[in-house]
Amino acid sequence: MTRSRTTLAYVLLAGAAVCFLFPLIWMFATSIKPEAQAASARLSLLPDPASSAPGVAADNYAAVWNDASILFPLYLRNTLVVAALSVVGMTLSSAIAAYGLSRVRWRGRGAVFVTVLLTLMIPFPVLMVPLYMVFRDLGWIGSLKPLWVPAWFGGAFNIFLLRQFFLGIPAELDEAARLDGCGHWTIFWRVIVPLSKPALAVVALFHFIYVWNDFLAPLVFLTHRDQFTLALGLQMYQSKAGLTPWNLLMAASTMVVLPVLAVFLLTQRAFVRGIAATGLKE
Amino acid sequence: MTNAGAISRRMAIGALAAGGLGFAAFGPRGGKERSDGRLVLDYWEKWTGHEGAAMQAVVDTFNASQSRLFVRYLVTNSIHQKALVAILGGAPPDVLGMYAFNVPSYSEANAVMPLDELAPRAGLSLEMYASGMRPIMTYGGRWYATTNTAGTLAMYWNKALFRERGIEGPPRTIADLDAAHAALTRTRPDGTLERAGFLHMEPGWWSWIWGYFFGGTLYDPATDTARADSPEFVRAYEWMQSYPRGLGLDRVERFRSGFGPYGTPQSAFLTGEVAMVVQGPWMANLINAFAPELDYGVAPMPVEASLYDEARPVTCIDTDVLMIPRGAKNPEASMEFIAYTQRQENVEKLATAHCKGSPMAAVSEAFLAGHPNRGVRLHTAMASSPRAFVAPSTPVWPEFKDVFDTSMQDLWKLAEPAAERLPKVQATASKLLADAAGLRRRRGEA
Amino acid sequence: MKARETTAGLLWSSPWIVGFSAFLLVPLALSLWYSFTDYPLLKPPVYVGLANYKALLNDARFWLVVKNTAIYAALVIPLCTILALALAAALATPRLRLARFFTAIIFLPTLVPMMATAMIWLWLYNARYGLINNILAAVGLPGPNWLENPAFAMPALVLTALWGVGQMVVVYIAAINEVPAALYEAAMLDGMGPVRRFWNVTVPMISPAILFNVITLTIGSMQAFVMPYVLFRNERGQRAAGDLYNLYLYDNAFVYQKFGHASAMAWMQLLVVLALTGLMMLAGRKLVYYRRGK
Repeated sequence: MTRSRTTLAYVLLAGAAVCFLFPLIWMFATSIKPEAQAASARLSLLPDPASSAPGVAADNYAAVWNDASILFPLYLRNTLVVAALSVVGMTLSSAIAAYGLSRVRWRGRGAVFVTVLLTLMIPFPVLMVPLYMVFRDLGWIGSLKPLWVPAWFGGAFNIFLLRQFFLGIPAELDEAARLDGCGHWTIFWRVIVPLSKPALAVVALFHFIYVWNDFLAPLVFLTHRDQFTLALGLQMYQSKAGLTPWNLLMAASTMVVLPVLAVFLLTQRAFVRGIAATGLKE
Repeated sequence: MTNAGAISRRMAIGALAAGGLGFAAFGPRGGKERSDGRLVLDYWEKWTGHEGAAMQAVVDTFNASQSRLFVRYLVTNSIHQKALVAILGGAPPDVLGMYAFNVPSYSEANAVMPLDELAPRAGLSLEMYASGMRPIMTYGGRWYATTNTAGTLAMYWNKALFRERGIEGPPRTIADLDAAHAALTRTRPDGTLERAGFLHMEPGWWSWIWGYFFGGTLYDPATDTARADSPEFVRAYEWMQSYPRGLGLDRVERFRSGFGPYGTPQSAFLTGEVAMVVQGPWMANLINAFAPELDYGVAPMPVEASLYDEARPVTCIDTDVLMIPRGAKNPEASMEFIAYTQRQENVEKLATAHCKGSPMAAVSEAFLAGHPNRGVRLHTAMASSPRAFVAPSTPVWPEFKDVFDTSMQDLWKLAEPAAERLPKVQATASKLLADAAGLRRRRGEA
Repeated sequence: MKARETTAGLLWSSPWIVGFSAFLLVPLALSLWYSFTDYPLLKPPVYVGLANYKALLNDARFWLVVKNTAIYAALVIPLCTILALALAAALATPRLRLARFFTAIIFLPTLVPMMATAMIWLWLYNARYGLINNILAAVGLPGPNWLENPAFAMPALVLTALWGVGQMVVVYIAAINEVPAALYEAAMLDGMGPVRRFWNVTVPMISPAILFNVITLTIGSMQAFVMPYVLFRNERGQRAAGDLYNLYLYDNAFVYQKFGHASAMAWMQLLVVLALTGLMMLAGRKLVYYRRGK
C-alpha cells in the first residue's frame, strides 16, 4: 500500500516537474539562439547548427552584460545594494516589531496587530502616487532610498510570520531569563533570536526574492538610469513597436534568475525547516 | 547530514555573500558621463532596444558638439506612469518624449510649456513641418510639441502575389480592394483558408480609421463632438464586416489564429498569408529583417470611388513628440536641444534608423534614396496631403480609443451589425466628451 | 508593571508604527481623499463627492472587470489550493527520494521576475507557434487559440497562476511535516486508508496554513495585473475577455486621466478584500484548528 502511494507521488511530481520546468527550459533555449532564430517558429532546444550553441550563448550573454545602454553590471550592483540594505533592515525591524506583538503583554497589541494585517491588503498602485509625494518631500527622489529605507520599519507579512513563530516559543524561557534579571532587550537577543534562526532565514530569503524582482517601485521612484535595478533593466529589452530581441531578453532573464536560484538552493534546507518551525500555530 | 556537507554549504553561502557584498561595494558605479560643470538636461524617452540606441547616438553628438549643455538620456518602457508622477511631484525632466495622443491632455492641463515663443527663438517654425504634422503639434491654437519621428499609414501590397494572379495593383478604390481581395483569397481543398487578400484585423492596430476612407471623420474639434455613427462610418464598418461574413467567420478566425506575432518571421504579410496590410513605414524594418526577398509595394490606402484623388491621398498620421514639461529648470536650454534634434540631418538620421518617415516639409534626396523602405517617397509625400488626418485631438481620446478597439473586435466577430453598434459607441464617446467638458467648467476653465 | 509593559510594547512596535505613520498612513488617507475628487494628475484634485463611485457603479466596463476578476479568483483559489495541497502531500511522502530536487523545481517559477514570466507565457500561448499547442498537436489534440478566443482567456490566465503555486507548496510541506506522527499511527490503527488519513488528520492539522494561503491567494488573485496586461494588451490580444479589475484601475490612473476613479476602485477593492478576509477568519473560527504552543 505504501509502495503504490509512493509511486503515485512520483508520477504526480514528475508530471508537475515537467510542466513547471518546460517554460524555463524554453527560456534558456531561446537565450542561446541567435536573434533571427529566437523569434522563429522552429521548436528546438538548440540553435541551428547545434554546434554553434556555446558560441551563440557566449555572444548573447556577453551582449547583455556589455550592452551600452542597458548597463547590466551597474544594475546588478544597484540591486545588490538595495537588496542587502533592504533584507538586513526588514529582518531586524520585523523581528523587533514581532517581539513587541508576541512576547510583551500589553493592552494595545491586539489593535496594532490587526492594523498590521490590514496593511497586507492594500494594493500598491493606490499608494504609489501619494507615496511619491511623501518621498519627494523627504528629498529622496533621485536616490535609492525609497527602495530600502521603508524596509527598516518592518513589513506586515514578515511581522505576521515572525509573530506566529515567536508565539510558539515556550514562555518559561522568558520567565527564567527574567528571574535572572534580564530585560526585554537581553531576552530578545539571548533567548528569542538564537531560537528563531530558521524563521529569520525565511524572512530574509522571501524579502530578497521580492526586492530582486520588484520593478514597480524602482520604475516610479528612480529618476536616473544609473540607479536602475535589474528588474527595470529587464523591461528595457521589451519593445512595444519595434522588434523585441527575444534571445537577449531571455538571456537577461536567465541572468537575473541565477543569483536568486543560487541563494535559494544553498539555503533551502534552513528554509523548509524554517517554515516548519514557524508551524503557523497561534 | 555530514559535517563536511554542512561546512561546504556554509562556505558556499559565505562565498556567495562575500561576492555579492564585494560587488555591491566595489562594483561599477554610474555617472561615467562627465558633465564637466555643464547644465544637465534630463531627457526621458520611451524607445528601447535598437530605436533607443539610435536616439542615444543623436544625444551623444549633441553633447559632443557644444560645451554648455549636457543631456542625460533615460529610457523607460512605462513612460506614462513615470512622466505623470514626476511632473506631479514637481521633479519633471527637461525634455519629455511622448506619443502624439498625449499632446491634448498634457497641453490642456498646462503640464507642458507652449513653444510659440521659445521655438522661433531657437530657429524653428511650424512651417518647417509637413502640413499633416501641425495638428498634432498644436492644441487649442498654441504650439506645444515638436515631432521626432513620423509615420503615415499606407497600404503594403505583395507585388509577387498580384502578378501571380494577373491582377493589376495597387488597388485604388474600395471596389478595387474588394476585387483584389476576392481574387487573391485562396482556399485549400479541405475548405480552410490558405491566403486572404486583405484583413482589417491584420494587424488591426488602428481600429478607428476605416470611416475616414469613406469620407467620414471621427471627431470634430470645432464643436468638440464625436461622429462615430455618421453615415460614412456606418458604411465603412458594414464594409469591414462584409469581409468576415464573406469568408465565413469561423474559417477566417481559424485562419487568423495561425498567424505569427508581429516582429517575427511568421508575421502574416511576410509569409504571404495576407496579401495586403495597412501599416506604417516601420514595416520595412520587419520585411528587411525576416523576408528581404519579399517584393512589396507601398500605395495609399484605397478610398471610396467618389473620393479618389491621386493628388490628395487619405492617410493617418502618427508621430512621437517632444515636449518641455512645465517646471523644467531651463526651458531655453531644453529648446536648444530639441531644436538640435529637429535639424534636418538629425531628423533624417533618426528616421532612417527607426525606419520611419521625416516630419519635415523639406526632405533631402539623400534621405529618400538611402532609406530602407522603398516606399519612403510616398510616405513622405502623404504627410503633406490635405486629406491627411490625425487621431482625435481631445484629452478623452485614450479612453475613446479603447472603447473603439473593443467594439472593433466585436464587430469583426459579427456580434452586432455596425449600424446598431456604432450609435452605442457614439453615445459612450459623447458622454466622455460631455463629462470632460463638465469637469472643465467645474474647474473654471474655458 | 502594566504601564511598563505597555511602554515596552509600544517601544518594541515603534519601528512599525513609525513606518506606518510615515509611509502608509498619509498615502492611505490621501488616496481615500482622491477617491472623492476629479484628479487628472496633471491638474490639482477638485472635490466631486460621490461622483466617481456613482460613475463606476453605472459603468458597463466596471461590471465587466468585476465579473472577470470574480471568475478568475473563483477559479484560481480552489484550483491552486488543491494543486498545492496535492503536491505538498506528494512531497511529504515518507522516504521520498529527490524530495528536495522536486521542491526546488516546483518553487523555481516563483523566482523568475513577473515581466519575464509573462513574456514567456505570451510566446508559449501562441496559437500556431507556441510550445503548448505544439505539444497538444503531438498527442493529437487540437490546440485552442489561447489568447484570442474569449472562451480560453480565463483558462490561459488560470494556468499561469497554477504555474506559480511553488510558494504555497513549500508552506504546506512545512505544515504537513509538523503533524505528529503519532496521529497517523493512530489513524492507521483505526484502519483508515491514505485518503481518509489525509482528510481526517492532515487537513485539520494544517488548517491554519490553509487559511493563511487562501487569504493571500485571494488578495493576489484580485490584484492580478502583470500577466493579463502582457497576455491581452498586445495587438493580437482581446480586450473584453481578458480585462481584469486592476487593468481598468491602471487605465484610469495613468491613461484616462481619472486618478480619482482609480482611487475609488482601489478602495472598493480594499473593502471587498476586507469583507472576504473577515468572512474567512470567521469561518476559520469554526474550521481552523490551532494547536497551543509546545
